[in-house]
Amino acid sequence: MNSLILDQLKRDKILDLLKTGKRIDGRALDEQRPLIIETGVIPKANGSARVKLGDTEIITGVKIQPDKPFPDLGDKGILICTAEILPLADPNAEPGPPNEEVIELARVVDRGIRETEMIDLHQLVLIENKSVIGMFIDSSVIDSGGNLFDACSYASVAGILSCTVPKYDIQNEAPVLVEGVTSKPPIKTLPVSVTMARIGDHIVVDPTKDEESCMDARITITTNSDGNICAVQKGGSDGFTAEQLLQCSEMALAVGRKIRKQFEKLM
Amino acid sequence: MVKTMTQLMTEDGIRCDGRRLDELRNISIKVGVLKNADGSAYIEFGKNKILAGVFGPRDVHPKHMANPDSGILRCRYHMSPFSVTERKNPAPSRREIEISKVIKEALQPAVILKDYPRTVIDVFIEVLQADGGSRCAALDAAAVALADAGIPMRDLVSACAAGKVADRIVLDVNNEEDQEGQADMPVALMPNMGKITLLQLDGMLKPEEFKTCMQTALVGCKRVYEVQRKALMEKYFQNGEQ
Amino acid sequence: MMDVKRRYVIPGDVIATGPLRPEQNVYQDGDRMISTCVGISEIFENAVKVIPLTGGYMPKSNDLVIGKVIGTSPLSWEFDINSCFVGFLPAQDVFGRDYSPTKDELKQRLDIGDLVATRIANFDRSRDPLLTVQDRDLGKIDSGELVTISPSKVPRLIGKRGSMIQTIEMATKAIITIGQNGWIVISCEDSEGLLKAVEAVKMIDALAHTPNLTERVKSMLGVPDGENNDTIND
Repeated sequence: MNSLILDQLKRDKILDLLKTGKRIDGRALDEQRPLIIETGVIPKANGSARVKLGDTEIITGVKIQPDKPFPDLGDKGILICTAEILPLADPNAEPGPPNEEVIELARVVDRGIRETEMIDLHQLVLIENKSVIGMFIDSSVIDSGGNLFDACSYASVAGILSCTVPKYDIQNEAPVLVEGVTSKPPIKTLPVSVTMARIGDHIVVDPTKDEESCMDARITITTNSDGNICAVQKGGSDGFTAEQLLQCSEMALAVGRKIRKQFEKLM
Repeated sequence: MVKTMTQLMTEDGIRCDGRRLDELRNISIKVGVLKNADGSAYIEFGKNKILAGVFGPRDVHPKHMANPDSGILRCRYHMSPFSVTERKNPAPSRREIEISKVIKEALQPAVILKDYPRTVIDVFIEVLQADGGSRCAALDAAAVALADAGIPMRDLVSACAAGKVADRIVLDVNNEEDQEGQADMPVALMPNMGKITLLQLDGMLKPEEFKTCMQTALVGCKRVYEVQRKALMEKYFQNGEQ
Repeated sequence: MMDVKRRYVIPGDVIATGPLRPEQNVYQDGDRMISTCVGISEIFENAVKVIPLTGGYMPKSNDLVIGKVIGTSPLSWEFDINSCFVGFLPAQDVFGRDYSPTKDELKQRLDIGDLVATRIANFDRSRDPLLTVQDRDLGKIDSGELVTISPSKVPRLIGKRGSMIQTIEMATKAIITIGQNGWIVISCEDSEGLLKAVEAVKMIDALAHTPNLTERVKSMLGVPDGENNDTIND
């Protein structure tokens, strides 16, 4: 039996603690939970990562295979990020076609990687307008503990950073795999996603499940290595003031720089 | 690139991955790996990497599915898009739906459902990396996850496949042997009850071969049971003395 | 000294054979007594049972549980009691037989999210458990920290004749209300004492069946280790 209703004591406690500048788990308002990144966990895939952000755990696999380009984008390879909340991750997750929450999660993760131009898609072309390399980055949430946006994004980035791209020769106008030869993916920048929640007048970075259940609004901001803001998504049933949003963008840049250092170690 | 029979096995009976005819791949099981699920287990069976999570007993939705006299068991076996050589569409395939059903029916005789009327016990299995015999490995993880969740069971369920490769009966078929071999027979056993709760056959076997194949698989099931038992003992009793 | 045979078991393990009486978490197959869960089997005076180390809360009549209000229906409150069964507290248990309260009156007394110490008045598996708050030490809990432990660890938290819980309460000056359903409420005026009490409870949940638990808890609390009473309480 699982209750969606936060018990009154905890909700009051979260708000009372925030007034003194603290959170239930002892973190500061702009502090993330411990982040553990492990790559190469699915050896059969071209790349993979396992990320633990607090109690949230994600496994991402990268599959690379030849594909047809999109009709009007014949000079670019294909990059598709998906996300799924597995039913074993959360008692409230339902198996079946993705609901709006999961679809939003997947599209936000995808935009974060696409809009920052993490991968130079022009370098993934085999025969222009005919045959390109397709990269599929599929994230599975295996344990849901809050802030799936950042966790899935980090797992996707780590999977891409550690993947190996197979080599294809062209024979008779078709791609043929060259065994035993791989290259590193053409990476231009490191996107880092930072999600914040507004609870009352307080903004907290990397909300836990409990904080998400009593938050008023949420924002996810993805920045790139040059310090530019490339993708933003506001969620939740309430809003932010302009000042709060600017505050969030500054936090996203600051926290983003810290996380980027962790990614750089993987390279 | 099609492997010929000689590449699947040498004259001395050494298989393509170096194993002997009656040798199991390496198996390791970790119990209680997820925070949200009521019970969970992660198994590595050869190159298979599979996660099982159990929720329940819990309310059934939609309500009309509830059984007033007994709990019900639901099972979902799903393969991650990156689990196989060519990326797989995340939507459940007919194969996954069939495997979900046979796994559920393999677990059903073991689970004591009459204690929990009007509830459901959900078993969710995710194959993160597949390499032949994944349905058996999935079942092995699911049984341990059920025990971890405290669902009352008459026995564990232990599964293993046997098959025919290069005209010989082998234990625990891997991916290449499954694709290029002559027969594949997954089997699940309730070890203390001696009850076989899953049996399938893909391929062609003479009656004598069928008998040998089944017996080989049952030996494999019992060896898997020892790994399952050890994993539960390690989690709950830290391998302490009796 | 009572002669109790104990063994670690998993589901399907044959604990014993012979003319014995199967009790909790044991089922009989022919003359074999078989465990249905992971736990510690006990054979005592012709009866066999298994103390489970797993599983959620299965309601029992007379158990004191901590419940969380999750809804109201015309004449009762619905409670989450950390079980697959929902608990019902009839309005008349609080308002008396002759009074039919409105929905607002119900919510004023106990609202959604409130934590309540309650007793299971009645439970048989054909219906959901009925609760009562009629005793003196029952009712809404205004303050305190809620800690969740596995219901199977509750006996260990209580200890033999209450020894473990008393040790914690005396060392931290906290007041601890234990629900048999694994929900524990700890209140303490001193924030340091509160943290230590919470840590002690969580430690017992994590290490309930390891040896030297009592010593480790006492050492964490800073209590001198006097007697050695590290046996399993059933």
